[in-house]
Amino acid sequence: MSYKILVINPGSTSTKIALYFNENEVFSETIRHSREELSRYPNIPSQYEFRMNMVLSALERHNYKVEDLDAVVGRGGLLYPLESGTYRVNDKMCEHLRIGVQGEHASNLGGLISKAIAEKTGIPAFIVDPVIVDELEPVARISGCPLIPRRSIFHALNHKAVARKVAKSLGKKYEEVNLIVAHLGGGISVAAHRRGRVVDVNNALDGDGPFAPERSGGLPVGDLVRLCFSGKYTMDEIMDMIRGKGGMVAYTGTNDMRIIGERAKAGDKQMDLLIEAMAYQVAKEIGGLATALEGHIDQIVLTGGIANNEDFTSRIVRRVKFLAPVTIVPGEEEMQALALGALRVLTGEERAKEYNPLEEK
Amino acid sequence: MGHFILVINPGGSSTKLALFEDERVIFSENLRHHGEELKKFSTSVEQLDFREKFIRDFLREKAVRIETLSAVVGRGGPFKPLESGTYIVNEAMLSDILEGRTQADHPSNLGALLADRLARNVGIPAYIVDPVSVDEFEPIARVSGLPELPRVSLSHALNIKMIGKRFAKEHGKDYNKLNLIIVHLGSGISVTAHKNGRMIDVNNANDEGPFSPQRTGTLPLSGLIRLCYSGKYTLNEMFNRVHKTGGLYAYLGTDNVEEVEKRIAQGDKEAEFYLTAMAYQIAKEIGAYAAVLYGRVDAILVTGGAAHSGFLVDAIKERVSFIAPVFVYPGEDEMLALALGALRVLNGEEKPKEYK
Repeated sequence: MSYKILVINPGSTSTKIALYFNENEVFSETIRHSREELSRYPNIPSQYEFRMNMVLSALERHNYKVEDLDAVVGRGGLLYPLESGTYRVNDKMCEHLRIGVQGEHASNLGGLISKAIAEKTGIPAFIVDPVIVDELEPVARISGCPLIPRRSIFHALNHKAVARKVAKSLGKKYEEVNLIVAHLGGGISVAAHRRGRVVDVNNALDGDGPFAPERSGGLPVGDLVRLCFSGKYTMDEIMDMIRGKGGMVAYTGTNDMRIIGERAKAGDKQMDLLIEAMAYQVAKEIGGLATALEGHIDQIVLTGGIANNEDFTSRIVRRVKFLAPVTIVPGEEEMQALALGALRVLTGEERAKEYNPLEEK
Repeated sequence: MGHFILVINPGGSSTKLALFEDERVIFSENLRHHGEELKKFSTSVEQLDFREKFIRDFLREKAVRIETLSAVVGRGGPFKPLESGTYIVNEAMLSDILEGRTQADHPSNLGALLADRLARNVGIPAYIVDPVSVDEFEPIARVSGLPELPRVSLSHALNIKMIGKRFAKEHGKDYNKLNLIIVHLGSGISVTAHKNGRMIDVNNANDEGPFSPQRTGTLPLSGLIRLCYSGKYTLNEMFNRVHKTGGLYAYLGTDNVEEVEKRIAQGDKEAEFYLTAMAYQIAKEIGAYAAVLYGRVDAILVTGGAAHSGFLVDAIKERVSFIAPVFVYPGEDEMLALALGALRVLNGEEKPKEYK
């Protein structure tokens, strides 16, 4: 028997949907939303009905009905910190997604839309491994300033999906291996996975770890303080420098590693230096996390959009292969990761977790 | 008869003076200045005449005749970036210091000036050794995620280089052929990667890396930015928070690792947790520098005052000993490091470098 799973992944200007029969994709589609359409809504939660109707009509266009489905799974949003897993969308979660307890983000709609569609026929709605997955060891939370603790915010969905895949290829369960996974995208998150838990990870969103195509990563803190007090910049401008306009964008004007790579190949020494420097910082982050695992590492995994860039990954591999074998799993399969998360619960391989965050207790 | 070497190390509220015969110390004194005496001066360089007279008076008292010395060596300051080594104090260095072409106003800038004042009349050389601005970075190490804020090389180079050379000598190796990770544990913490004798990457202990007894080290930046713009703190308060009252001090109210260790021995779980967290961050930094060296690390050397803490050192070792064997050299002896730097040149083991 095959489970029919509808996958919904809302982004800032599009909603991706896909239908899976078990682990197999039947169709997938990216529904683009124009700025005018979205500008009619005062905030993200209020787009919920609009986007849901787009999803339902897409389903119909592909000749499927809500009644055919066994489950709906959505991208998880900015909830309170949670351990990794597949969560049933419950009323508390919906309330938190609507309020935006940790901030507004398009992915907050994933849980809300899934729940609304699932309710029509009484099937379950899930979210899987949202960015706020938090399994940090207590020591990893400590920064040098009590007012600014280290937080776990990362590309958890892809990290977890890829880590499971690699563990399987080693003939083991995810809970039996130690991995260091580097997600290489517009932001870069490097995490130590110890027996199924992400015990430490650089916070790619807040300015920590290696620089990335669009983000600054960690910066010298005293110099940054001076920049903040220079009177030349607003807070928003400085925030833009660390995310969106930092890293490669700040040096080259583009976040496209292919363009930067082509310029380097054409003889631009500065571009070559920048690629090497970014690889250098990723390698340093991997080396750092190796000590979090006391050197017991089964595999290092490079994944994400720019793991396709062989020139770039080879520069990382050279520096870290002494730690463990390196596997490259290019790309990011969010839709499949969501479908598989739901499927594990439907088949009974895993139990769905209940959203009942510590912050509430 | 060996070489007699006078060592001058000017600090914020004291001048340390020592006389060495070769590597053997004859005397070493920390001469305190009364708070009022130094308050009259707005910059360190203005204290030159005052400190010179102070030193000459002391030497007279100790019956040290300058003309019997082989050299005078001073602590180097935050000069422009330069290669590691022992430098002859020359006119270019003097004018850079006197005219403010250094990275900061710091009492250590006086080291070269005082050494020159004492040595000049009697025709002996004046040196400085491995200032904090020793810079042997490879170009990739300078790149940060923002062009406005490049990474810079500032470290406890004086002690670090001495320990590297001492390790090499003790193991019958050439320092210039070793790959080492040397960690200085002081009130600030420097973790450094040495490739064939060059210190190719360093966390700037003021601004990066692990938190330390007094400093925050790396922080999640958006939180830091929000604090800066909160309107609650002045620039100096923020600097203070990052450089003086961060790290262990912020959590435990002390920057004294020995005291923290005592508390742990008495069963203080909080003290144990935060010292463990510091060790965790130090270990991560060491792991990062192992990747800098492609994993080819001959040894990890741990030095500085906090290396006396068995708890701290063990907690670090536990996490990094898979990388390379760990050797511990507790304490920090700047006076000896300066004397040895001068001695290597006097003995012809090393050529003095020229400041340009």
